[in-house]
Amino acid sequence: MEQQIFNGTQEYVASEQLMASVNIAIALKKPLLIKGEPGTGKTMLAEAVAKALGKRLIIWNIKSTTKAQEGLYVYDTIQRLYDGQFGEEGVNDIARYIKLGKLGEAFDSDEQVILLIDEIDKAALEFPNDLLWELDQMEFYINETKRTVKAKHRPIVIITSNAEKELPDAFLRRCIFHYIDFPERELMEEIVRVHFPDVEANLLKNAMDVFYNIRTIRDIRKKPSTSELIDWVNALQIGGIPADKIRKELPFVGVVVKKDEDLELVRQNPLN
Amino acid sequence: MFIKFFETLRAKGLRVTLGEWLTLQDALDQGLCGSSLTQFYYVARMILVKSETDFDKFDMAFEECFKPAQRETEVGKEMLRWLDKSDMMELAHEEARAHLNQMEDIAVDKETVEETFKQRLKDQDSEHNGGSFWIGTMGKTSFGNMGGNVGGVRVGGQTGYQSAFSVVGARKYRDFRDDRVLDNRQFQLAFRKLRQFSSRLDIPETELDIDGTIDKTCNNGGCLQIVMQKPRKNAVKLLLLMDSGGTMIPYSSLLNDLFQAVHKSNHYKDVKTYYFHNCIYSKLYKTPECENGDWIDTEWMFRNLDSDYKVIIVGDAAMAPEELYSDTGNYRGPNGGLSGWEWLKLVKKKYKKVVWLNPKMAPGRAPWREAETAVKELFPMYKLTVDGLNRAMIKLMANK
Repeated sequence: MEQQIFNGTQEYVASEQLMASVNIAIALKKPLLIKGEPGTGKTMLAEAVAKALGKRLIIWNIKSTTKAQEGLYVYDTIQRLYDGQFGEEGVNDIARYIKLGKLGEAFDSDEQVILLIDEIDKAALEFPNDLLWELDQMEFYINETKRTVKAKHRPIVIITSNAEKELPDAFLRRCIFHYIDFPERELMEEIVRVHFPDVEANLLKNAMDVFYNIRTIRDIRKKPSTSELIDWVNALQIGGIPADKIRKELPFVGVVVKKDEDLELVRQNPLN
Repeated sequence: MFIKFFETLRAKGLRVTLGEWLTLQDALDQGLCGSSLTQFYYVARMILVKSETDFDKFDMAFEECFKPAQRETEVGKEMLRWLDKSDMMELAHEEARAHLNQMEDIAVDKETVEETFKQRLKDQDSEHNGGSFWIGTMGKTSFGNMGGNVGGVRVGGQTGYQSAFSVVGARKYRDFRDDRVLDNRQFQLAFRKLRQFSSRLDIPETELDIDGTIDKTCNNGGCLQIVMQKPRKNAVKLLLLMDSGGTMIPYSSLLNDLFQAVHKSNHYKDVKTYYFHNCIYSKLYKTPECENGDWIDTEWMFRNLDSDYKVIIVGDAAMAPEELYSDTGNYRGPNGGLSGWEWLKLVKKKYKKVVWLNPKMAPGRAPWREAETAVKELFPMYKLTVDGLNRAMIKLMANK
């Protein structure tokens, strides 16, 4: 197989370590587990990898009700029942009623794809364990049609977690782990500039000062994240706020600070 | 390879498994670490460590094992840029090398080189190529890259990684360290047993009602008619009462685990937590600090939390018998004129299902622990272990 190297993209600024972990996960053929504060671009990473490597991205969004089985396949029995009533053509063909889930789709694809399993910690406690075999062997068995779906090309699996629940050890053992640190100022500046190439230097500096100050306030309930800073800079630009007013008046601060208690705290704390 | 590192990691409390270790060997075989210690640090960490809370332990182990191997001196970015001269590669052919080597007359010994290197690093302020004193490319000093001197310090590289030891040294992940036993998964799994399904809740109908479908279809002359129903939801309401008295302090991390497990089990209809000091009296505190004023009336709880709440009392039941039976009650907080014993009886009367979890329960009847034995008569008591918790949960769910 040809060597594929991920080096970040125009739109996505990744730290060297993050890029290295992506490349190592690809080389070792293991799922890459990404953790980090909300808004540090965990989900965007998969998009960036897909873009950089020129591969299709399949996203499996996990919700609290998601079952592992849904990722493999769903057998639409009700449709078949209804069709059977009216003697529709092809009712005998069970395969018609087997719909592959996201994982199944990734396995069945004719070319290598990127599979993003987003926010795996949202699902029930048992969820990750139910996928161990499938992620290890890259295959599963459809009972109804006696067919084994086996990955033609092992997908690059990226899994994100917000650490709402602990993941089982057996699952963790099989992953490559990367924790996205909160970006330092320089990296952050680079990230904002990727989104707004001609942002005014003074405005950005002031906004970042305030932003990092807010993050250092003790007892703050929800620290603002990268994506919130980006939204804020955008709002400040659109609003045409002069740079010197940012510190004093905190315009549109609601974009950065979302909780009432936190807003109070920010107002009380001098930001200089 | 590196077996000592593996052992050190395990000794530091990281549960590295053989499988993960073999994966690391695989990575080394594939040359994914290059020949750089720093790169090895990151690769090893991403394969062996699965939680940022363990990064600090990993750092410590890494430092212990590889400190002697440290030869990477921090080199400024600017310096690296001066040295990044891949376009000069063609020039650095063998002949030039041989030539330069001849001219270098000082015998190289490692320590002097390092010493001088550090000094030079401090003094140098511009780019040098081909010289014989400063750090630069194509030169004949012991420093720099593509130079003629073979025994010197190679400066420069494409990695751009932070030196492993500056990362380790900074102990950046110390704050993430979390020495409260991380694995409360077993507790969480025990709490899963507390399920009582009800379909009376207000949620969309997403499940097939088989009996209903058969009835309707038969009534419909055999023409299929599907009936859907609401999925069953857990209707269990939980009331957690925790002792936060002085004798409980040694168990605080255990209680913390229990508390977290309850709150992570988000499948309950409702969870309420209150605290008491030694025994339940007329007030229940809202926080474990049990501060005067920050409380609710126990009677308010009786009125507002109905008898369907399943009650878990956590405490060591180690009060003195005088305290349990005395009408004047606890030395802190009001008791409403009733002894602790009377209050406990009121709890039993109000709630259908109550269990007591005790972190230091004596086996069987223990005459030397009178209060505990008395409480055992009132409530089923279990030791606060995974096994005890499991049995307590079964008791809470049992019909009788």
